[in-house]
Amino acid sequence: MKGPGYALSALLMAPSLLVLAVAFLLPVATLARMSLNTTMPGGAIVETITLVNYSEFLADEFYWEITGTTLLLAVIVTISALLVAYPIALFLFRWESPWRGPLAVLTISPLLVSGVVRTYGWIVLLGDQGPVNALVLWLGLSATPLKLSNNFLGAVIGLTEILTPYMALALIAGFGRLDRAAEEAAETLGATPWRTFIHVTLPLSLPGILLGSLLCFVLAVSSFVTPRLLGGGRVFTLATEIYEAAMLTLNWPLAATISMLMLVLFGITLVAYGRLMRAVAQ
Amino acid sequence: MTHLALAALSKHYGSAVAVDHVDLDLARGKFLALLGPSGCGKTTTLRMIAGLVEPSSGKILVDGADITRTPPYRRDMGLVFQSYALFPHMDVARNVGFGLRMRGIDGADATSRVAEALALVRLTGLEARRPKQLSGGQQQRVALARALVIRPTLLLLDEPLSNLDAKLREEMRAEISDIQKTLGITTVFVTHDQSEALAMADLVAVMDSGRVAQLGTPTEIFEKPATPFVAGFVGRVNVLQGEADGSEVAVGPHRLRAASEARGPVSVMVRPHRMRLSERPGATNRISGTIRRLTYVGEVLEIEIDASGHTLRVERSTDEDFSALAPGADITAHFAPEHTLVFPRTP
Repeated sequence: MKGPGYALSALLMAPSLLVLAVAFLLPVATLARMSLNTTMPGGAIVETITLVNYSEFLADEFYWEITGTTLLLAVIVTISALLVAYPIALFLFRWESPWRGPLAVLTISPLLVSGVVRTYGWIVLLGDQGPVNALVLWLGLSATPLKLSNNFLGAVIGLTEILTPYMALALIAGFGRLDRAAEEAAETLGATPWRTFIHVTLPLSLPGILLGSLLCFVLAVSSFVTPRLLGGGRVFTLATEIYEAAMLTLNWPLAATISMLMLVLFGITLVAYGRLMRAVAQ
Repeated sequence: MTHLALAALSKHYGSAVAVDHVDLDLARGKFLALLGPSGCGKTTTLRMIAGLVEPSSGKILVDGADITRTPPYRRDMGLVFQSYALFPHMDVARNVGFGLRMRGIDGADATSRVAEALALVRLTGLEARRPKQLSGGQQQRVALARALVIRPTLLLLDEPLSNLDAKLREEMRAEISDIQKTLGITTVFVTHDQSEALAMADLVAVMDSGRVAQLGTPTEIFEKPATPFVAGFVGRVNVLQGEADGSEVAVGPHRLRAASEARGPVSVMVRPHRMRLSERPGATNRISGTIRRLTYVGEVLEIEIDASGHTLRVERSTDEDFSALAPGADITAHFAPEHTLVFPRTP
């Protein structure tokens, strides 16, 4: 684009670019700079330029482990959220009824309540004396209360519920290529409903699945409150470690380093998403 | 021998009636067109035959077997959708081969049948293309090949030509007719285009408000329309209001003869191309008036005549010489009694 149209679009984009520069690029640059500093044993920051934080992180098995835990948590949560949200989203996308709008709002309404509040809700629900365990004991499914919280499982359950509305939104938005006529065509050609789903519905909803998975994966990797509270201090992720370093051991350069590495992780995720989307669009 | 039979087939959506007691018998190898304006129930009827819409009541029989409750994937019908509904994530060969894979046919057998179907619709060589890389006409052919490759008992076509441009539409019209005749496959074709229905079908069912207004050959539908609706929907007509006495109809000062025994108020309908202009004193069914407008449309000259409160439209081939005609001039049109359609008028 050239000429007045180009100038106009540049002008229209200027405010958001400015906000983005101040609110995103500047903090990231500050973080990047901070990650190159070191600390004295007491916590005082030493202004310098060194990669020692990065080399320490990469050399430490513990950090590799928490990176693994973080990715595992994010992958499990993303898949769980997909399994929960997909049928709901498909139903909402298809259903021609005046109730469709209200029901869609209901689906995403958990977003109106803070994740912190919902996490505390899950602590109550999943506790040893909570209603879920009460039901399990009453039904005789187990003699002792199940360990549903204060562990990895608790973090998975809580995060799945918190991220499901995002997944549902992304799925509905991504169902654009899903054509009812294509499914009907498959049925008239002899495909049972199940085979129609596998051969037509699922492939055509891949863009939505990828978009929702990207969103949930990124949100799960960076989530802090839920793994921290529902993990009961036993689930260590990159985000809880950043908090640990920044707020408790006051090692800001280390916290900044982990943040930068997380940013790299997101970069890789985005590139992978782009590749997959192109493959799917073919 | 009856291949497809619909018996009192109906579909209601709440209190709205989409299809109302449709009865049809279609012999093997015949080509039936369901013709009507949008909302007349023709597509709903087709979708019920395919199994995509569940009938509210009535029956669908194929070779005498009741398939009303059979799911679409066990009906063995090839349906071509108006939007083609190709699978965008599969290439042409996989699109066409889909029905074979669902039937457990693969390998060399499937490959040769796909090739055969693509040859039938003249698309050989495009196996590896994706639907979005094809033109509308090519997508249409893929949809047709995909429906035919499974060797369906019935071929169902839902307005397959409506998304094509005029020239391509005529081409495909002939091609679908040829394929249907070559394969001898019983076919039901839904269209709102009367010329498509007349040109392609052996039998035409004109539908109006969920009912079959008339079922007949193209000639019967056009020449002997059963209702004013059919006369008006299939081809163009001039409508005159008159009084019938059992043998003749009085329209203003004119007395018209027709093969009708109707009495009382009637509508008289004459097709514009059945009207003659030559001055013959002995001719029956003469109406005189003044020329209001002449419209030259290439092959045809359209003459609008004001005659005792009615506007008559006459169509004559431009083969004849009409240079003497001019707006405002007096003129007499006449038409044969056998081309004069009379329908009792309900007050």
